[in-house]
Amino acid sequence: MGFHDHRAEDLVQDVFLTFLERVDGFEGRSQLRTWMFGILHNKARERRRTSPGDERTDPIDAEFESRFDARGSWVNPPGDLDRLLLSKEAGAMIQECMEGLTANQREVFVLREVEGLETAEICKIVDVTVTNMGVLMHRARTRMRECLEAKGLSRR
Amino acid sequence: MISCRNVARLLTSDELAAQSRWKRMEVRLHLAMCKFCSRLARQLELMRTAARRLPDSTKEDKDLEERLARRLSDRM
Repeated sequence: MGFHDHRAEDLVQDVFLTFLERVDGFEGRSQLRTWMFGILHNKARERRRTSPGDERTDPIDAEFESRFDARGSWVNPPGDLDRLLLSKEAGAMIQECMEGLTANQREVFVLREVEGLETAEICKIVDVTVTNMGVLMHRARTRMRECLEAKGLSRR
Repeated sequence: MISCRNVARLLTSDELAAQSRWKRMEVRLHLAMCKFCSRLARQLELMRTAARRLPDSTKEDKDLEERLARRLSDRM
């Protein structure tokens, strides 16, 4: 969700306390998982004081576009990352690269790619439209791929 | 014909499943013919597989979910 270990622990404790405070009011209408992630998201946002809608532009968009010509064909195609992604260090590298995402991108990336939640569920938790979610995912996965590619090149 | 750029955008944004049947077919056809777009698709899949293996992922969450559900039913 965009925090380092000590702050994350603090945050989880805060979420758990909120959960216990409100547990009597829980009507079982939404899945428990969505509900818990919803609290976590709101607590995280309170601390960050930014919303996903704040990210109107991102330099990664230009980086993505620069890989294609005017007709939309690859001019700078993706490098081969198979060996890197199938190696034992893939997890550690993914974690390192996640540091380069914005907090909102990281949140969407973790919920979808790590936790495996469905798009509709994530939109509900993060409170974004499907379109915004697509933009955040595109930027997150593009930046992750670029970062992994840079690591792959430096290993050769 | 759909461009590589548009295929890449649909893949990275994870929006392919939400497209029409025709569009999905067009993308599948493109992927069958385009080495670089299919490489990108494969990379995104491998990235997801590796990300799911990170600690604190779904498996541990299921335990948490169960523990919380138990606590919840105790209190009700």
